[in-house]
Amino acid sequence: MQPQQPTPRRPRAKAPIVPPASVTGRSLGIVIGIMVFLASLTAGAVYIINQSAAAWLRDVSSEVTVQVKPEGRVEDVEKTATAVAKFLTGQNGVRRASLLTLDQSAELVEPWLGQIAAIKELPLPRLVAVQVDRDNPPDVTTLRAALTTKFPTAELDDHRAWQSQIRRVTGSLAAAGLAIIALVATATVAIVVSAARSAISSNRDIVEVLNFVGAEERFIARQFELHFLKLGIKAGIIGAAAAGLVFFLMPTITEFMSGAAVHAEYRRLVGTGRLDMMGYVCLLIVVVLIAGICQLTSRYGVRRILDAQNQ
Amino acid sequence: MIRFENVGLRYGLGQEVLRDVSFHLLPGSFHFLTGPSGAGKTSLLRLLFLSLKPSRGMAYMFGKNITKSSSGQRAELRRRIGIVFQDFRLLDHMTTWENVALPLRVHGKRQSEYAEDVTELLKWVGLGDRMFAYPPVLSGGEKQRAAIARAVIGKPELLLADEPTGNVDPQMARRLLRLFIELNRLGTSVIIATHDYQLMTQFTAPRLMLENGRLNIHG
Repeated sequence: MQPQQPTPRRPRAKAPIVPPASVTGRSLGIVIGIMVFLASLTAGAVYIINQSAAAWLRDVSSEVTVQVKPEGRVEDVEKTATAVAKFLTGQNGVRRASLLTLDQSAELVEPWLGQIAAIKELPLPRLVAVQVDRDNPPDVTTLRAALTTKFPTAELDDHRAWQSQIRRVTGSLAAAGLAIIALVATATVAIVVSAARSAISSNRDIVEVLNFVGAEERFIARQFELHFLKLGIKAGIIGAAAAGLVFFLMPTITEFMSGAAVHAEYRRLVGTGRLDMMGYVCLLIVVVLIAGICQLTSRYGVRRILDAQNQ
Repeated sequence: MIRFENVGLRYGLGQEVLRDVSFHLLPGSFHFLTGPSGAGKTSLLRLLFLSLKPSRGMAYMFGKNITKSSSGQRAELRRRIGIVFQDFRLLDHMTTWENVALPLRVHGKRQSEYAEDVTELLKWVGLGDRMFAYPPVLSGGEKQRAAIARAVIGKPELLLADEPTGNVDPQMARRLLRLFIELNRLGTSVIIATHDYQLMTQFTAPRLMLENGRLNIHG
């Protein structure tokens, strides 16, 4: 049953052949909007995780650490560490080499030893943080050999083991994210197809009438394709916009839900949680895909009705 | 115009619902198609309307062999046929005017080309003051007249009517019959499928009688 319409007094220029507003159409719009919202949230989350993982790897690979073993007197270790930092500063591909102070070194072991007064009395190795030039990185093997030759107690760590661990973890997260996207996409497709078929069936009488007034199959299919494409785009944009708003408000949401300390940790891991331009493009892709599914489903739905009518 | 030779129709692997149906209808003819329920009237109409293909035999409409036609050819042939149903089949979201204009619109004509014809036809069938009403507010008789107008707006050569008076009162049924007779007088071939014997007595026309899937022509 169509909603009440005001009675026109003259022919409408292009009265829609497929009614734009109907109960089944509204239901389908709601379904599409919700599924696009969920799919967009998933796609956006996977995108953020991938971006964060890439940032982690960039950060880790842009720094190497030199450890000066605490052998001999404390003054000698200090002197050696200072010399190592100066040596590294002059090397090709090294942007900066900074010697961590004793206090900074003590802070690093505090999680394991606790805040004890005697921590600085312990024979802690001295660390030199070396920032490499990403565009022109040094040859680590050559650097290691030169360093060891000149300073036998110095050891260079290029964090390779740590990088491969990060890659494994981020790879697993990305795979899990893609699996979730695949599941959400499959559910979205199934629900949209089912809802679109139901909407087409409820408009079966329109297909029949068009068929028997001599409309070609292409014409009939096009009427429904345009209708469902517009519906898919409209509802999809609403769903994606809602998801985009969630991402935009993510910093506020996480701070509100978890408190400042957890929020800071969250920020350290995944940044602000907001999407950049490419992230929003991902949401747009979701809208386009879902609208395309609606269009294709309507095309095949109409063909099936026509095939049943014209045996 | 229409020639069927030993046409048989079967749905799936079941028994034939039409057997050895043969007839030849000339342009400008008027026939009643009648028979008891289940005799095959609707199936024959569906064949005439190109919604089904014969399982066997030869069938020609407007000189074309419909047993070998493609969907595009069938759509083209349907434009030469108008069809009226017992349940009207008007689109509720379109006005009476828009319903009647629909065939011309799907045939690609511009509204400026057909607007006047649609208005004149609606006045001719007595719906001049209901042109912009929506079907749900029309009476049964008004709906059927709108459906007839839609069926003939494209000036079809053949008009098929499946129990067109089934949902109207006897007085309106007589009025509708006069409409069909007038259309026939203007050159349209008419086939009315009905089991309303009272209707058939009001106008002398040959009867295509179906019984157990076999056709006999009387008159």
